Amino acid sequence: MNQPFGQKALFWTLVVISIVTLSAPTFVVLGASVTSGNIITFPPEGFSLKWYGKILGEQDLRDAFMRSLWVATICVIVAMPTGTLAGIALSKYRMRGGLIIQTYLLLPFTIPLIGSGIGLMLAFGDAGLLGNLWPVGIATAVINLPFMIWAVSSSAAGLDPDLELAAQSCGAGPVQTFFNVTLPAVTPGVITGSLLMFILSLNEFLVSLLLVDARTVTLPVQIYNSIRSIITPDLAAVSVVFIVVAMLAITALDKFVGLEIFLKSK
Amino acid sequence: MRKYTSAYPALWRVMDVLEGAFAAVWPKKGGNYTPYLMLAPAILLVGTLVVGLLYIGDTSLRTLDRTTFQFSDFWTLDNYTRAFFESFTWTIIWRSLMGAIIVTFVTLILAFPYAYTMVRTTNSTLRKFLLIALFLPFFIGQVVRAYGWLIILGNQGIVNDVLGLVGVEPLRLLFNYPAVLFGLVQYMLPFAVLMLAPAMTAIPEEIEAASTSLGASWIKTMTYVVIPMAKPGLIGAGLVVLTLSLTDFAMPAILGGGTQDFIANAIYDQFFRTSDQGFGASLAIILIGIETMIVGLIFAVFGAGTLELGSNDS
Amino acid sequence: MTFKKTINRRQLLKTSAAAGTVLAAPSILWAAEPAKPAELIVRAWGGPWVEALKNGVSDPFTERTGIRIIHDLTEDNEIQPKVWAAVAQNRTPPIHINWDTTTNATKSALRGVCEDLSDLSNLAGTTDLAKPVGVEGYPIVNTYGYVYVLAYRTEAFPDGPPASYHDLLDPKFKGRVAFYNDGIGFHFPAQVAGGGSLDGIPDAMDPCWDFVTKMKEQNPLLGEDPDFVTWFQNGEIDAACTISTNALGAKRNGVDIAWTVPAEGSKFDTDGLWIPKGHSESELYWAKEYINSAITQEAQQVWLDGLGLPGVVPGLTPPEGLAGDPSYPTTEADFERLIRISGKTQVEHESEWFSKFKQIMQG
Repeated sequence: MNQPFGQKALFWTLVVISIVTLSAPTFVVLGASVTSGNIITFPPEGFSLKWYGKILGEQDLRDAFMRSLWVATICVIVAMPTGTLAGIALSKYRMRGGLIIQTYLLLPFTIPLIGSGIGLMLAFGDAGLLGNLWPVGIATAVINLPFMIWAVSSSAAGLDPDLELAAQSCGAGPVQTFFNVTLPAVTPGVITGSLLMFILSLNEFLVSLLLVDARTVTLPVQIYNSIRSIITPDLAAVSVVFIVVAMLAITALDKFVGLEIFLKSK
Repeated sequence: MRKYTSAYPALWRVMDVLEGAFAAVWPKKGGNYTPYLMLAPAILLVGTLVVGLLYIGDTSLRTLDRTTFQFSDFWTLDNYTRAFFESFTWTIIWRSLMGAIIVTFVTLILAFPYAYTMVRTTNSTLRKFLLIALFLPFFIGQVVRAYGWLIILGNQGIVNDVLGLVGVEPLRLLFNYPAVLFGLVQYMLPFAVLMLAPAMTAIPEEIEAASTSLGASWIKTMTYVVIPMAKPGLIGAGLVVLTLSLTDFAMPAILGGGTQDFIANAIYDQFFRTSDQGFGASLAIILIGIETMIVGLIFAVFGAGTLELGSNDS
Repeated sequence: MTFKKTINRRQLLKTSAAAGTVLAAPSILWAAEPAKPAELIVRAWGGPWVEALKNGVSDPFTERTGIRIIHDLTEDNEIQPKVWAAVAQNRTPPIHINWDTTTNATKSALRGVCEDLSDLSNLAGTTDLAKPVGVEGYPIVNTYGYVYVLAYRTEAFPDGPPASYHDLLDPKFKGRVAFYNDGIGFHFPAQVAGGGSLDGIPDAMDPCWDFVTKMKEQNPLLGEDPDFVTWFQNGEIDAACTISTNALGAKRNGVDIAWTVPAEGSKFDTDGLWIPKGHSESELYWAKEYINSAITQEAQQVWLDGLGLPGVVPGLTPPEGLAGDPSYPTTEADFERLIRISGKTQVEHESEWFSKFKQIMQG
């Protein structure tokens, strides 16, 4: 459909502003990471890859990165079934106390992360769970759960209830209907949500800060701690490596599933 | 006639077993309770947060003795009274609330055309480009992005360099309220677009075409057709941006120069700097209370948006 | 002759007995030494701070004992609730040794979560500075001192260093001065600048708040250690009340900075090491050994060279260019213009001073 010129002009101006705003820090970080000086500046002074050499040699950072991957994996494993079931339920059924349940399920966003962090630290501490990585995975799953639920429920919103009725009238039991009809229909939402959860968990630092110790520290926490002391270009280099890994992951995702899944509800 | 190797596929047998188990455990009349069963895992998971909240609530009722740095054995409402009567608390609450509302507004204004363009464009490469531009910033993380902006908008940064070319003295673009709001907007933008996009996809293009063919200008089409149909997405996105901005900690800290504290910063200060965990906890509880009321209000007035219940029940 | 022979034999017996004891001693010592843990966790500030610690204390310790040292870079503020919660919930604390500010450590000491360190053998060789003020015994061992100097960009002060904080009230410095976001280091000079006296701390601090209100007109930037370095490096500020190490850091990166102790004086404080309660006996023993090794002259010399700060053992050589510098006080005369307030007073009133400062600056 051809958009009228006025609309195109206005929308595209805003879009370009958005793109510039979103990408500017990326370029700065990229530039700052190749400086030959010791300070983060942009444009960089001179060109040198020494900071990359420095971080790639650091075992600590590699260990922290592997731990972050593990935490993110646990997060997705926990959030996928939980969020999917909840998303489908919220979208398909009208139920009593719906408003309360909705508000309750939005708690991870309404409680400030510091509050969640301290609360979970005290709760996990009393249960003797601290010192392991998997509680951190669960914690990141909890605080980002609304995203998963939303992703699935907006997918399920497009689910035609007649399809399920049809399946049942053909003799499928409830379990079979669920696996063969409902679940495939919400798959786009499940994939979108899981990816979002993975990314968010990989980058989470505030709640993790309170739940890890020096033996289990994850990469975002390590970066955050370093920034609090002094800001040097090696942090920029770490961020760039992260971005490169992300680009590879996104490309792979595109090949397998197609990026457009994020736009679809069906 | 083809000869079948097995009369009944193995997968079907598995399904039969599962159906049998399910029927045995879940009575037929239990159909009404199915949604609650499905919600149970999520409710339990969020329950861990509630348990944490109970600890925080307990801490909030204890005051700190500054000679022994132990918390009181007894419960008292002193922390809450102190919070209510200190004018600083209200300054911060007002600043955070106003900030969150402004940020939500601006973010939605920027997110809407972005989502619209992304969904409506026929060029698939362009769509991918827009999506990637949206995602990449996630991987740098909030804090490093904020530092990137410190460099760009700083005294010796690019913006001031460009302004210097036209003879303008370096402006202090950072360490003030607008800088914090700007930082929040650029952080929330990807979230808002991601939440709007599916809702936009659900609006058929033909409806816009129909509206235009009936003589409406594009502004009218937008206002009376597209935006109302996108309402669920707008509300979902708005809610997320509102709650996340209200509780954000990093942007006000980094871009604010220490003078633009939001509630999360005040809570941080109490937990970590003055070691008054009781007071910090009471501030957290007050914040949660305010937010839950706002969220509940929005749900009641506008409906739950893309989180809508029973939108499929005909 | 016989006399000599007797003496010789006695000498021989004595020396052989002595030799025998000396040879046997290690095995006695080994028997008394508890099992070594595989690693000890030391909390430290990142960047140049942890590098200095590694060079001066951690690496030599690992060489001597074979125990690996892991450095936890969590901020001192952020580790405090974690340690307190661990002790309160009877769990093993997340760190063995905390390299902390004495003020923070005093809070933990008052709360009773610090192990007693009075039995460290090397304490005998330290100066008075090593003893924390306001708490009994040695729950903390102070390891060095630092001054909250008035750091400034030399370009912005062509006529020489600012003589007083009043100089910063000049309108041309609007938005170009910086302080810690809780006002630390500035309260005490402000008290003097506002016309009051140090005896008025903590009960009569109105002059301090009056001066802070005046300074608010200058729209100062408020931040923490890494911010000062960044702000100086990026030319955002001309002057700051900050610890000398930050100014030194910026200077070493090429920024033209100097510092001074103005007429009102500068706050002097210390950092120290302490061990949270809750560790096993053997880990406690070796953690104590670590702290013990940090207060030897060799360790202090290397460690503090990296930080440019005066230590707690006599006979240290100041790093290049810092001899006689106001940020490196060693003699009585150096300490005349520095302000030292007891840790106990500071922690008692900290919350109050904190809120007042924030109220004035942000209200």
